[in-house]
Amino acid sequence: MKKEELLTTASLALLELEEGEVERLGEEVARMLDYFEMMTKLDVDGLEPTTHAFQKTNRLRADVLNNNNNNNNTNNSFNRPLIMENGNDVEDDFFVIPNVL
Amino acid sequence: MGDVLVNDKYETFVGLEIHIHLLTESKMFCGCKANYGDEPNTNVCPVCLGYPGVLPTVNERAMEMGYVVARALNCRLSRKTYFERKNYFYPDMPKNYQISQFQEPVGVEGYMDFEFGDEIKRIRIHDVHLEEDAGKMIHAGDMSLQDFNRAGYPLLEIVTEPDLKSGEETEAFLRAFRRTVRYLGVCDGNMDEGSMKCDANISINLPGAGLGTKVELKNMNSPRFVRRGLQYEAQRQASVLDEGGKLIQETRLWNENRDITESMRTKEMANDYRYFPEPDMPPFCPDDAFMAAVEEAQVELPLTRKHKLMRKYSLSSEQAEFIHDEKGNADYFERVLALGAEAQSVYTWLSSDVQKELNLLNMTLTRSPLSAERFAELLRLMEEGQISGKIAKQVLIDVFEENEDPSRIVEKKGLSQISDPAAIARIIDKVLGENEQVVQAVREGEQKQKGFLVGQIMKETGGRAAPALVQKILSEKLS
Amino acid sequence: MKDLEGWKKVLTDQDRAKKYREYITGWEKKIGSLLEWKLPEPGKYRDDGSPLSAVPFAVKDNIAVEGFKLTCGSKILEYVKAPYTATGVKNLQDSGAWVMGKTNLDEFGMGSSTDNSALQKTNNPYDTSRVAGGSSGGSAAAVAAGIVPFALGTDTGGSVRQPAGFCGIYGLKPTYGVVSRYGLTAYASSLEVCGVCARTVDTTRSVFHAMRGLDEMDQTTIDFETVSSGVKTVGVLKVEDGSLSAEVAASYETSIARLKKLGYEVREISIPAMDYVVPAYYTIATAEASANLARFNGMRYGLSPIFAESPEDLMRYSRNMGFGEEVKTRILLGTFVLRSGFQDQYYVRAQKIRTLIRQELDEIFAECDVIMLPLFPTAPFHHGQSELTSFQQKQADVYTCLANMTGSPGLAVPSSLEKGLPVGVQFMAPPCGEERLFSVAEELEKVFPAPRPAGYSEEWRS
Repeated sequence: MKKEELLTTASLALLELEEGEVERLGEEVARMLDYFEMMTKLDVDGLEPTTHAFQKTNRLRADVLNNNNNNNNTNNSFNRPLIMENGNDVEDDFFVIPNVL
Repeated sequence: MGDVLVNDKYETFVGLEIHIHLLTESKMFCGCKANYGDEPNTNVCPVCLGYPGVLPTVNERAMEMGYVVARALNCRLSRKTYFERKNYFYPDMPKNYQISQFQEPVGVEGYMDFEFGDEIKRIRIHDVHLEEDAGKMIHAGDMSLQDFNRAGYPLLEIVTEPDLKSGEETEAFLRAFRRTVRYLGVCDGNMDEGSMKCDANISINLPGAGLGTKVELKNMNSPRFVRRGLQYEAQRQASVLDEGGKLIQETRLWNENRDITESMRTKEMANDYRYFPEPDMPPFCPDDAFMAAVEEAQVELPLTRKHKLMRKYSLSSEQAEFIHDEKGNADYFERVLALGAEAQSVYTWLSSDVQKELNLLNMTLTRSPLSAERFAELLRLMEEGQISGKIAKQVLIDVFEENEDPSRIVEKKGLSQISDPAAIARIIDKVLGENEQVVQAVREGEQKQKGFLVGQIMKETGGRAAPALVQKILSEKLS
Repeated sequence: MKDLEGWKKVLTDQDRAKKYREYITGWEKKIGSLLEWKLPEPGKYRDDGSPLSAVPFAVKDNIAVEGFKLTCGSKILEYVKAPYTATGVKNLQDSGAWVMGKTNLDEFGMGSSTDNSALQKTNNPYDTSRVAGGSSGGSAAAVAAGIVPFALGTDTGGSVRQPAGFCGIYGLKPTYGVVSRYGLTAYASSLEVCGVCARTVDTTRSVFHAMRGLDEMDQTTIDFETVSSGVKTVGVLKVEDGSLSAEVAASYETSIARLKKLGYEVREISIPAMDYVVPAYYTIATAEASANLARFNGMRYGLSPIFAESPEDLMRYSRNMGFGEEVKTRILLGTFVLRSGFQDQYYVRAQKIRTLIRQELDEIFAECDVIMLPLFPTAPFHHGQSELTSFQQKQADVYTCLANMTGSPGLAVPSSLEKGLPVGVQFMAPPCGEERLFSVAEELEKVFPAPRPAGYSEEWRS
């Protein structure tokens, strides 16, 4: 893989590779991609891709408010104060981040 | 503002991406309340905040609404629809991928007809797909405040083919589209509140040369702004081409304060959404019962409704336009007629006095105290001569203010018309007795003064005396 | 639940609780299996008599348990507290069991040694210079050392089974969708499941049944329609010479001999698509991971820089500082295989190969009730990459990731001690065939129960 491809990929993944990382990670990624090439040897014509392990039945959720344990059959409870506590910078119940200037 | 004449040399192509917020109780993929305007970050949970370990669960009602709209827009409905992940980083999007649909949306290849001037136009629909909204940022100086109440709100995106030919036509289409989703009851269509959003792509080219260089237009918060943005953009593009310039594919924002479009000039970020099937939710294959429910939810669409109103009740196009704008109003109109009222009279009342009262009280017809039954009763009282037109207007106001049946108001306030000649004669005698000088003047030929006497008689009866009888008996007495 | 009886008093009896605490502390100095642990106030916890009541257990730290952090072994989540509890854990808590701690793991479950944890080193209880396996190394080590009778892990490509084998215990990767993933920090959503590390087959079975079930919070959960539990025919994967270390090859032969002796019909099998399993597995796993790990961006929770000029900078700095190199490598790889122009060549092709592998396994299960195959080509290796490079460790997932590609259940079973180190073997059954696995494993357990490392004691709880 070309360095340029690696950097484009990194930018899509919002990773900015530091010096040294470009080489180390690039080498590892390239090694894996070479390894993946093996897959092209197999004839996959006529095979449908498997995207889900078992897709048996339709699963839909009834449109009802179901949040924080108002339904005992569902594991939907959570600790609301912790959600704010986990915030790095919280003001008046908003999460604060830098603005685009 | 009328349509600005675009350089005739070019053909304009406009396609739309319309997002509507679906009127569900809960969010698209979690049980949080789908409601904005609440205190920040109150309608949130680990799922819509993108916590580690959480999983999305599809909202049944949203799925149903997706199919209902796709069906109403004459789409081919998917027998196996599924969600995909659309990958890109965005500060307000908690998972940094949006769960959307790509390969198998709920519906594809549909169309919608709408009226533009005297013509019926057909716009092709590319696809209708379900997805989730992101949170909201409030910018405050060097920081931004994030509120995730809107994150995960169910969105339906409708993508049209570039079949629209001008800003004016696009505005007409948008209004018709808005009316359609309101008829279906899936969205309130408020563009100013953001529950309906519209991005446009526009290109121009010499006739016959096909699509030109596409420009994306955003930030247009009303059908009117969509028209003006497109009109401006078509002209701008024409000028560029006329001057021998080249158009670039870009995104531009409508600046409503300056009436122009401006290039977004964002940092060139490589965009590659890397869609792949969402592994956290199995595909959905609608069964017969589901499809039956989708059929059940179909309603007579606005355009059909309008034409029916014109045909069945002999309304003019303008009259039908007014009546059919809201489904509730059209239903109401037909219910009043079914209760025996006459179409022109109902229309006249609805478009004048009733509308005035609704505007005054900031109410909608269907939620006002004036039920179809009450309205029909009011018109009947008038027709039967129990009250005069003038009294009817007063009773109408009372119905709004007192939330009572017209007959009850008439009875309570003693407003029914006096049509007993003897009773009217007695009142006339009294008035004539009190105004001997005027009577004298009338008898001497000053017919103008007769009006004064009529006024006095009506005043004496609180306007309840049958006007024709008053005229007749008064003339007899004065001769 | 005889083997759990002895555990019930460690939480309820003050005297035993004290000894328990000392026992844990002693082992933890040597193996570092737990990232966080706590015991209830003595006397506060009661045994209501049900099988799992008052039994302590540990949970891999990529599974959410309210009351604990949820680090996933990563700097980016080092101080994040779990605001909710995973459904599988909740089900066990409802059965009366007590979460005593969170176990170490390879960062986000990415690894086979637990050396990729950014927070702590975990050692094999049999030899502290060696790894406990991974990524659920902490869970396996804690069970092997007798700190808990069972622990939960997660298995994306072998992450429960391989460390269970390295630590000489049982490790179950259930059928995909039978146990809820709600609360399991996603690495590769379509492949992984919460699993069980335990000292005995009986405990493994009880825990599995207590934690499984359709979950409204996880729409990929399925009904457990158990297949017949009888096992007559065991398909044994023919392994090419040289692909297993001498110790592992010997142990494998030992298990084959045992099966024959126990009267099973042993049939040699081969899986032609086996060569393509690992590339296809890593393509899918990293692709899904690239999206699953995008949510970690320093906003809402998690590590973030003190200062950033723009939201994008904040996200980028957080990810750069927060993720280790193995995680970054896999994100890059996964991002690349999904890119337009490359997706058909890699991701879509891998999903097709997955279909082929499933077809081949279906054919085998039409003939065999269960199959046996190795767990890992080597015995527990030394820390670092001197014996197995990171790339070789990935290639070594070949035997385990098969079950993740097909969704089938897999069970690691202790096979032997080779030069003092545990070596395990693996059984696989068709979907929902867990009882078949338990049935074979129980027969083998009678012949060779889970071994015990030096320092293992039951004295304090008897």
